[in-house]
Amino acid sequence: MILVGILVTFLGFVISLLSLGMASGVNSRMFMVLAGIVVSLVGIVGVINKAYVNNAIWKK
Amino acid sequence: MRKTLLAFTLALTLTSLRAQTPAAAAPPAAAAPPAAAAPAAVPLTDADLKGIPTPKAEDRAKGDPDGGLTGNVSDVTVADPITDKTPKAKGLTLGDLANQAGQNKIAINFMWTLIAGFMVMFMQAGFAIVEAGLCRAKNANHTMMMNFMVYGTGLLAYWICGFALQMGGVGAIANLGGTPPLVNEFTVTLFGKPFGMWGQTGFFLMHKGTYDVSVMVIFLFQMVFMDTALTIVTGSAAERWKFTSFLASSFVLGAFTYPIFANWAWGGGWLANLGTNFALGHGYADFAGSGVVHAVGGLSALALALIVGPRIGKFNRDGKPNAIPGHDITYVLLGCFILAFGWFGFNPGSTLGASGNGNLRIGSVAVNTMLAGMAGSFSAMFYMWMRYGKPDASMTGNGLLAGLVAITAPSGFVNPVASVIIGFIAGVLVCLSVEFVERTMKIDDPVGAISVHGVNGLWGVIAVGLFADGKSNYGGSWNGVAGSVTGLFYGDASQLVAQLIGVSTLLGFVFLMTFLLNLAIGAVMGGQRSPAKDELEGLDIPEIGSLAYPEFQLK
Repeated sequence: MILVGILVTFLGFVISLLSLGMASGVNSRMFMVLAGIVVSLVGIVGVINKAYVNNAIWKK
Repeated sequence: MRKTLLAFTLALTLTSLRAQTPAAAAPPAAAAPPAAAAPAAVPLTDADLKGIPTPKAEDRAKGDPDGGLTGNVSDVTVADPITDKTPKAKGLTLGDLANQAGQNKIAINFMWTLIAGFMVMFMQAGFAIVEAGLCRAKNANHTMMMNFMVYGTGLLAYWICGFALQMGGVGAIANLGGTPPLVNEFTVTLFGKPFGMWGQTGFFLMHKGTYDVSVMVIFLFQMVFMDTALTIVTGSAAERWKFTSFLASSFVLGAFTYPIFANWAWGGGWLANLGTNFALGHGYADFAGSGVVHAVGGLSALALALIVGPRIGKFNRDGKPNAIPGHDITYVLLGCFILAFGWFGFNPGSTLGASGNGNLRIGSVAVNTMLAGMAGSFSAMFYMWMRYGKPDASMTGNGLLAGLVAITAPSGFVNPVASVIIGFIAGVLVCLSVEFVERTMKIDDPVGAISVHGVNGLWGVIAVGLFADGKSNYGGSWNGVAGSVTGLFYGDASQLVAQLIGVSTLLGFVFLMTFLLNLAIGAVMGGQRSPAKDELEGLDIPEIGSLAYPEFQLK
């Protein structure tokens, strides 16, 4: 689960980086970068953190 | 005396024109200042400098209570002085005056940068007592020791390789006399453009000519910034972080994680060049480090808080959080004041000079800093007051820090009204974020480091792309792009894109880098967390060997 979170978080960065090569207009780049940020946040908050919460010591 | 003043005016004008940043287009203000035209009309030669009166020895012997005699032409360093043995020497020349003026400019900038660096170093004391105050008394010695030794650990790591990786390819820093040895950046080509990845000069401060006065100044200043990022992490993992793991984690953060992102933003790396390579505003602009220092520290704090997990007793089995009050709120607020004082070194000091190249904007930077801090403390206080019925002291302190964190990146580019808006939003944001981190993410952050530094660091980076008003002028360009940094609200949406790419890099790369490195450290060192028995007892005795308050009865 944590590995998936790592990959999703990194994918967000890759999407933002690709905006530099795949888009030329400001609006299209902005859209891609925002999408990348959302994907990274999902990876951190929704996947990595959730994996830790599922195994948290206070649940045991 | 009039001739002396005239000569100095000419020399200063010549020097300031010569000292412009190479990449800078000549700014209109510097190209034709009214004062620059005046001396040209008066033909001044070395001969005019002969016989400029100096105070008589007998007058100086009487003392100088009003300061009118101290500091005069006799204090100018002369390359070829006339003495009894060299009566035909040139004596004082215009060249001597020009050299003196140039050195005075660099001396002013050295002093400014060093003193600002000393103030930032003192912020370590502020962080130490804020974090110690927000922890329980049974962990006070352990928390103080982490804050104390993060300074030495970070300094060692940064001296060995961190500085070289960050600044080894930064190129000329005109304000500090050029820093000529720092010119070796490792780059890769991506999308047909060079991407600066890390510097390659300056290891141990002896490598390839970096035993250099200007390099020393930039090292000291950058080192204390790096250490600020490191000490943020100690707060989020306080009261359960194994001391040996803390030492290893801090070393790695100071040696690799921080310097890599700092190179990309400040050391001539690819983020800084988004403007020149991809026409995105002036590239990623982070005046004093909302992203480089605070978001890196805050996201590292998040990674550590995840890895070490919450303190015992922080959450019930149903996930409901319990408040674990700190042991000394007076420490906390005093520490916040020390940090606010140190921030005047952090932000205005980031001009790296007080003379030339638009550096008189330090006044504006300082005022923006204090305004945003004030706005943050007010908005946090009122938010807590309205929501919980009392003006919570620790969150008011965190509001002050949040405002300061958020204004750190924009402080050099925005006006006072924008500063207040940025700080006000930061104060509310930190309260909302603390609640989200604790109640939704179930993360235990004893001091609120993730919210204060991580969330508001990212907000500060974005705020540059929104509020930069295009009025700043630091030598006519920023990151090699002529003109002033201008945000979305003043007409340049592309600057906001550059800032958002910085945010994405922090979330998608820096967080992961620090997360993975700390997982590796934990694997090598048998975990990052202290044993439960030690945690329940308090870490002072098991980890450090002595109590912070041995005469107190601890619960």
